Amino acid sequence: MSEALVLGIETSCDETAIGIVRGRKLLANVIASSVEEHARFGGVVPEVASRAHLEAMQPALKEAMAQAKISLSDLDAVAVTAGPGLVGALLVGTSAAAGLALAIDKPIYGVNHLAAHVSVDYLTHDLPAEPTIALLVSGGHSSLLQVNDITGEIIKLGETMDDAAGEAFDKVARIMDLGFPGGPAIDRIAKTGSATAIDFPRGLTTSKDWETRPFEFSFSGLKTAVARYLEATPTYAKGDVAASFQEAIVDVLLLKAIAAAKKTGINSLVIAGGVAANSRLRQEATERCAAQGIKLRIPSPALCTDNGAMVAALGSLMVAAGRSASPIAFDAASSLPVTQISI
Amino acid sequence: MSILAIDTAASRTSVVVIENGKVVFNEFRDGAMSHGPALPELVQAAIKNREITEVLVGMGPGPYTGLRVGITFAQTFAWARNIPVRGFCSLDAIAAQVSESDFIVAIDARRKEVYWARYTNGLRVEGPTVDLPAVVAARGIKVVSDLFPDPKYFISLSEEFTEPIYLRRPDAVATADRK
Repeated sequence: MSEALVLGIETSCDETAIGIVRGRKLLANVIASSVEEHARFGGVVPEVASRAHLEAMQPALKEAMAQAKISLSDLDAVAVTAGPGLVGALLVGTSAAAGLALAIDKPIYGVNHLAAHVSVDYLTHDLPAEPTIALLVSGGHSSLLQVNDITGEIIKLGETMDDAAGEAFDKVARIMDLGFPGGPAIDRIAKTGSATAIDFPRGLTTSKDWETRPFEFSFSGLKTAVARYLEATPTYAKGDVAASFQEAIVDVLLLKAIAAAKKTGINSLVIAGGVAANSRLRQEATERCAAQGIKLRIPSPALCTDNGAMVAALGSLMVAAGRSASPIAFDAASSLPVTQISI
Repeated sequence: MSILAIDTAASRTSVVVIENGKVVFNEFRDGAMSHGPALPELVQAAIKNREITEVLVGMGPGPYTGLRVGITFAQTFAWARNIPVRGFCSLDAIAAQVSESDFIVAIDARRKEVYWARYTNGLRVEGPTVDLPAVVAARGIKVVSDLFPDPKYFISLSEEFTEPIYLRRPDAVATADRK
């Protein structure tokens, strides 16, 4: 079945998202975000997110079905994020998915949120030249992956040892009073400053690091360096700090991603996850990959942040690849490793 | 006419099917953390070879994560089948098992508090609400706290709830209020 019609449900963090795809064609992509409810807390509050998921689920499902103009009985399968994520939030999605799958008597695929981020690229670009290197960067994750088969084999090359890249954006935005979420705020204000104004540290890039942990990331030192700079420089220019901080993150992410491509001899890179919506990362990645002869693919910004289309896309690829469905009774897996593509 | 009734408000996942007023399926799984896998497993068995025409679900009060499993499952199942779903107070499905004229149903609400309601002559006259056990004890009447909601009783209840019965706001402190 190459053109599987799949509905995907994503509730791992603060977006209640439903996507519907037929094969590689996106038919519906509905996202209800509770991000504004979290803003005054400076971060995602799990119970607030879970309540919002329950409230948004039925309207989102109905809206997605209206967009796709299909009937539920046409669906070949239901896909849902099984993990990783907030357990209470995940359970709203897995329970809705189980209710739907049982109601229409169709198989359910409990899939990995991180693999789904990578797989969404297949909706916008030509079928992948697997294997590919994938740089997955979001508020909860920063990993370098070698994707040999998106439905079958993902190898983790490295990940962050402390903060995720998106988390660093949030924390720096908070100390600069730029609001939550920090990524878009810093991206915006960085355009008014100089990326070379302040020389912030690039974590894990000493020659010893390149020998021992070439594909690991560390962003907590950078966050601390920004905080110290702000304390020591009361008259700091927000644009310069934002641009220089952003440059440090983008630089390290791309240095390591390109090194991974070189080391493995795989000249293909996918950048996915919420931070992949960052305009500076997209621009710099395009330039560096072109210079290195690496084929770069980044999904459109709307498909980089959490969405249901990516879950549906991975579900559809699983069906097409003949992968077996999940058991109807599976538990949300809050710390599902990226190497486990489905439950 | 098969009615599917479920409750996940307590540390038990209960699934019942009622046909023509008779309970034809009644199973549960115990576990405060296992509603997620337990509910689909039980419902899969419950609906086999049956045409479900309505879904009844416990709306709490109860620990939130498990509670939402039942509500979101029930709502989505009913939507997909295009059949009605109705919500009820889970404490009422405990009270229905008690043959006293004046009593309180109280279940653990964590943080040393209880969710409770008072029933007089078969009617809920106070609650559902959440308090310290001392508040409940001060009423000086019999307190029932060792029973689980039995969803088969939802069918005989008249008061419906369309929202989850949380009774508490989420724990979180706005950044502006932090010290």
